[in-house]
Amino acid sequence: MDIVFIFEWLDASWLAELSKSSAGVFAMVQTVHIASMVMLGGMVMLGDLRMMNVLLPNVPSATIINGTRKWIWLALLFIILSGLYEASAIAMKLAHNSFFFAKMAGLGMGMAFILTIRSAVYSRAPAVVEGEGVNNNIQLDEVVQPWVVKLVAVTSLLIWFSVASAGRWIGFS
Amino acid sequence: MLNELLFKFASWLDTFQSSTDLHESLYMYAWVESTHVLTLMLFLGMLLVIDLRLLGVAFTDVAASKIVERLDKPMMIGFVVMVISGMLLFYAIPVRSTQSIWFRIKVVLLIGAGINAFLIRNMTRSTDMAWDNDPKPPKRIRVGAGLSLALWTGVIAVGRSMAYDWWDCHKEMPYFMYWAAGCVNEMAAYE
Repeated sequence: MDIVFIFEWLDASWLAELSKSSAGVFAMVQTVHIASMVMLGGMVMLGDLRMMNVLLPNVPSATIINGTRKWIWLALLFIILSGLYEASAIAMKLAHNSFFFAKMAGLGMGMAFILTIRSAVYSRAPAVVEGEGVNNNIQLDEVVQPWVVKLVAVTSLLIWFSVASAGRWIGFS
Repeated sequence: MLNELLFKFASWLDTFQSSTDLHESLYMYAWVESTHVLTLMLFLGMLLVIDLRLLGVAFTDVAASKIVERLDKPMMIGFVVMVISGMLLFYAIPVRSTQSIWFRIKVVLLIGAGINAFLIRNMTRSTDMAWDNDPKPPKRIRVGAGLSLALWTGVIAVGRSMAYDWWDCHKEMPYFMYWAAGCVNEMAAYE
């Protein structure tokens, strides 16, 4: 399916007019994009490394995962808004940029992964991961194996690393 | 005087073939720059978690000392990689970087952030951590954490601005800007 018309529409929009009009504002929006990326990366890494028992193993994992949740979504909100602004300035370039499409695919995959698999598996973490004596109300037969939790954590890290790498590479292509 | 010295040092670095090779390489420079930016996520990501806890807005049910101590190691790993990759980026483009107003502001902000981090570290490692489990740390700690976030946001902003040539030496600028950016030759031409 040809989706170039979306980029053409974006390129002709008032947002593109605005983003192309001031390099200073564009640089500030880029700063917001990077700062949000830092927030997303920090919170995702904290959660995933906790589930791998690498960071803060003595703190119940639910405390960490619940604590990171709102920051992850806040960061994603800012990433998407600032990213849209940035994309509008170079819409026609992005229409034919493989790294941009890789980044969008990774972003979609990452968000879907957080909402489904990551969330489902982390909430069923065994006591060896979750922390002794704090395993919540889940049934024993719902508890997943520790290696599954670690696999999900590694997958999550890989997805977000790929998104950030693809994003960086847009600038070089 | 200092501007001349810095310019001479940068020009000397620029004479190395490896500096030119790195700058002109098809992929290596991009890899180094990507590493620099991606390591931000590790270093600043961990620092953000620490600062948010010290501000009393995140992970308030976890002892502050636990967050500070346990995240210190990954944060420092990120910092070391960031410094090495940053030095390589400087080595690849020494003259333009030395004469970049943004780079100079970045160095000042980095020094400020370093001093602030040293002070926070002292305050959070002292034996007097009666507030350790308090959701909201004392005001001096919160001010330090807020300052840390502001300084590092500034570092990101000026780091990003280095890519633009708004205040490069070849541009028409007031004398003060030539001086601030260290445009030695342009200053000489002005006089």
